[in-house]
Amino acid sequence: MSAQQLAVPPPPIDGFWSGTRRSFQTMIRRNGFGLIALVLLALVILGPLYSVVLWAFAERWQYPSLIPQVFGLSFWERTFARADIAEALPFSIVLAATVTLISAVICLPASYAFARMKFRGRQLLLLSFLATNAFPRFGLYISIAVIFFRLNLIGTLPGVILIQLVNTLLLMIWIPTAAFQGVDRSLEEAALDVGASPLRVFVQITLPMVMPALSAALLLTFVNTFYEAQGALVVGLPRIVTMPVLMYSLINSQLIVQYGAIVSLVLWAPSLILLILAQRLLRGGYLTAGFGV
Amino acid sequence: MTAAAPPQSSPSWRKGIIAYLMVAPPLLLMILLIFIPALQSTARTLTIDVNGEPGFSISRYTAFFQDPISVSNLFFTFQVTLITLAAIFILCFPLAIYLRFATGKLAGAVQVLALFPLFVPGIILAYALIRFLGTRGTLDNVLSIVGFTGYRTPYLKPDAIIFGLVWESIPFTVLVLTAGLRQISDSLIESARDVGANSWQIFWRIILPQIARPVLIVFSLNFLGIFGSYTIPYLLGPAAPQMMGVFMQQTFGQYRRPDDAETQAVITFIICAFIGFLYVRTVATQRKREESE
Amino acid sequence: MKLRLILLVVCIALLGALSVSAQDRTPIYVYTDSDTNISDFWTNTIIPAFEAEFPQYEVILTIVRGVGGGNADIANRALAAMTTGDDPQVDFFETMNTDAQQEWVDAELFLAVTEEMVPNLANVIPATNRLPQEMPYRGSQVLLAYNSDNVAAEDVPTTYAGLLEWIKNNPGQFVYNRPDKGGSGAAMVTRAIFEVTGQDPSKFVPGESDEALIAEFSKAWELLGSVHDSIYENGAYPAGNTPVLELLANGSVSMITAWSDQGLQAYNLGVLPETTRFAQLQDLPFTGGYAFSAIPSNSTNQEGALALANFLLSAEMQQAIVETIGGFPSVSWEMLPAELQSQYTSVITDTVPTWPGGAYGAAMVEGWYNNVATNIDPSS
Repeated sequence: MSAQQLAVPPPPIDGFWSGTRRSFQTMIRRNGFGLIALVLLALVILGPLYSVVLWAFAERWQYPSLIPQVFGLSFWERTFARADIAEALPFSIVLAATVTLISAVICLPASYAFARMKFRGRQLLLLSFLATNAFPRFGLYISIAVIFFRLNLIGTLPGVILIQLVNTLLLMIWIPTAAFQGVDRSLEEAALDVGASPLRVFVQITLPMVMPALSAALLLTFVNTFYEAQGALVVGLPRIVTMPVLMYSLINSQLIVQYGAIVSLVLWAPSLILLILAQRLLRGGYLTAGFGV
Repeated sequence: MTAAAPPQSSPSWRKGIIAYLMVAPPLLLMILLIFIPALQSTARTLTIDVNGEPGFSISRYTAFFQDPISVSNLFFTFQVTLITLAAIFILCFPLAIYLRFATGKLAGAVQVLALFPLFVPGIILAYALIRFLGTRGTLDNVLSIVGFTGYRTPYLKPDAIIFGLVWESIPFTVLVLTAGLRQISDSLIESARDVGANSWQIFWRIILPQIARPVLIVFSLNFLGIFGSYTIPYLLGPAAPQMMGVFMQQTFGQYRRPDDAETQAVITFIICAFIGFLYVRTVATQRKREESE
Repeated sequence: MKLRLILLVVCIALLGALSVSAQDRTPIYVYTDSDTNISDFWTNTIIPAFEAEFPQYEVILTIVRGVGGGNADIANRALAAMTTGDDPQVDFFETMNTDAQQEWVDAELFLAVTEEMVPNLANVIPATNRLPQEMPYRGSQVLLAYNSDNVAAEDVPTTYAGLLEWIKNNPGQFVYNRPDKGGSGAAMVTRAIFEVTGQDPSKFVPGESDEALIAEFSKAWELLGSVHDSIYENGAYPAGNTPVLELLANGSVSMITAWSDQGLQAYNLGVLPETTRFAQLQDLPFTGGYAFSAIPSNSTNQEGALALANFLLSAEMQQAIVETIGGFPSVSWEMLPAELQSQYTSVITDTVPTWPGGAYGAAMVEGWYNNVATNIDPSS
């Protein structure tokens, strides 16, 4: 919301400042809450991230300065000289994409069934997926590891994919189920009446209508999987090292603050790209439509 | 499938089979990786060795509730969870209402900010908050520049946990509440306004009853997430009392008492299952009512 | 358009991941949960030197610091693999308390090493107090680190009682971390236990568990409890060695306990201000610690693991430990160059009290959490 737009009457003779003030007051009146929310959110959400971003580009930063005394990129070189990071980052992206894809293949038919078919225990089974969130993670992972040993899945890619898949189930079933339920059946019936095949109806009518919600589900699943650390740690090591597992150790006990800050920034990159993509969904208000509400 | 089946029930029978087949893969995954390990744990906590023979006993649970440290940690977890939930609602309700009714660039910016935490994993948040909230951190620094010197850091105190958990919960809460609010049609609100209802009456009589379900979703899923949280309370919270996630890890990893850790895990599970059940029942009755209408 | 770009990036990344070629060298899986200075030392010094000397092996170092229980989780995993007869996929623990869990001892999870298997063990000094399963390869000692701008040299405590007095007189200016989250905080706690048990660390024998001795810990809780309110922010204990160093670095506190190696490295890196000084208690020093390596008995590359263990105890690596990470050797100082000896003897005292861990460690950690960190009286 720019000031020019609102300052439609030309600035009066008493000068630029009063005009600006007036247009600002108009803006406050019209958008008072929005402005306050924006400022508060910017403080609370971006405030903590401010120091991380600045630290990443700081050579020297000592209290009590608000910005680093010396800026520079020398720590970036040192961070990327680490072989572990160069290996783990692309691997994590591929892993998260794979898990998201498999999750979609497994869950989307199920969510269609939950939304559209009638069968005994439908409601109960659908609600049972809440259990994936209801268990304390730590104990669960140890118990799972014991089972995985018997199945020879420790330190293998399938093992990590399985444990990460579990975390995706709720999102990947609930969001699409709600979306399939929300589809206007009369459109589909009309198409069927004029002789379209069920497959064609699904591809040409149903799918476009649920696409925004499906995209949201895929996006959220990817991001969540990308940042999953504990399951990958217990089941994946030693052969599978994901970026978040590495991140825990880099951030948690590093004497040089810059390492953690730079790794944080690098880790944001994939999700920031997604955030840009998500913008399109957000503007249409689609992202919010898929939460089973 | 057989010829003996009555012809009129055959299609629905077949459809039921198909539906079950579609639902089966994620369901099996969940049973294998969540229910079986969890049931094993539960069974173990209810068993003690009596002369080499396994026998049923609740002695581990009585021991938990007789230990003042365990009880205080459980109580603390409840306290943090409820305060955090209250803070989430106080913050997110106005935000969601604003985002539902506002349009334009300002609202878009507010939405992006509110969703941003979705893309920041807990470990980075903890890292950032230590530098934001800590003694001589960014906040302290800014406050001292504007002349306020008596800053007491919430770092390593319960307040920092609450701050971090609220921060993490904003996107999900805003998404779900906004989506719920979108289902209330503008015309309903306008007609209420036409008959002279003020904003408060509109909120109380029209908006609130309509979004009971999203509120419940937000309440229960946030409850479960906060109750089982680990990274934020571990890195930002006090050494004592501890939230159950940290306490469990401590009991398992440091006190070397996996049995007790398992008991703690099952206790948190029972509490979480209770919240989950409340939620399931509400949703189920509401759906039934919708279908009968 | 954007989507296509991302797909392209993903494809390239996928190809990159697939093109990692098969290796002919036998892997040695090494796990560490030590702080960054140690894992960096492994990555940059030990592993290149070892692989140059033993080209048939490839050392794969995995850092599990800060996630869950670290190496202990991996040991539990190895134990589970033992019961099922699977490959534990771990050959060498950089540090391990081999008797920390009774199940490990009962199952003989760790290999008992002899001088036949690791010849250089003959040079290890007896003060390291090793169990047969453990191979000490580096040591360091906890010191007091303080900011000389705020603490005059003559005010620096020289006894433990003096330190407690200083903390009370300077509320909010001292901090140590939770004893299970880093050895520098643990040393503050174990030193209190030594204080109330007659300043005699030899009472604590590794592998033993003397109930009467553990009963005396309660007096240590009284000591530490008496300064609880005077610790940083009325008793806020950070969750690791590094956060404590950071509090000293940014001026939040004036004095901390710190590992000699980490403190010196932080000082050299400029993380700690130039006014930082180090001191040691004169009545009984803070505990030092040796990092004990261990080999799981079900390791599939025991030969390689033993070669690595022997290499760590060579004069060359022991010297690197002193020079690169500010640690001290587990072998006799006579094996190292004379000038190095004279340069470091001022920091390192002859007596290095060690803390046995095991059952005492668990009692120490739990007792501290239940009596010092919280204000709840467990007997109530």
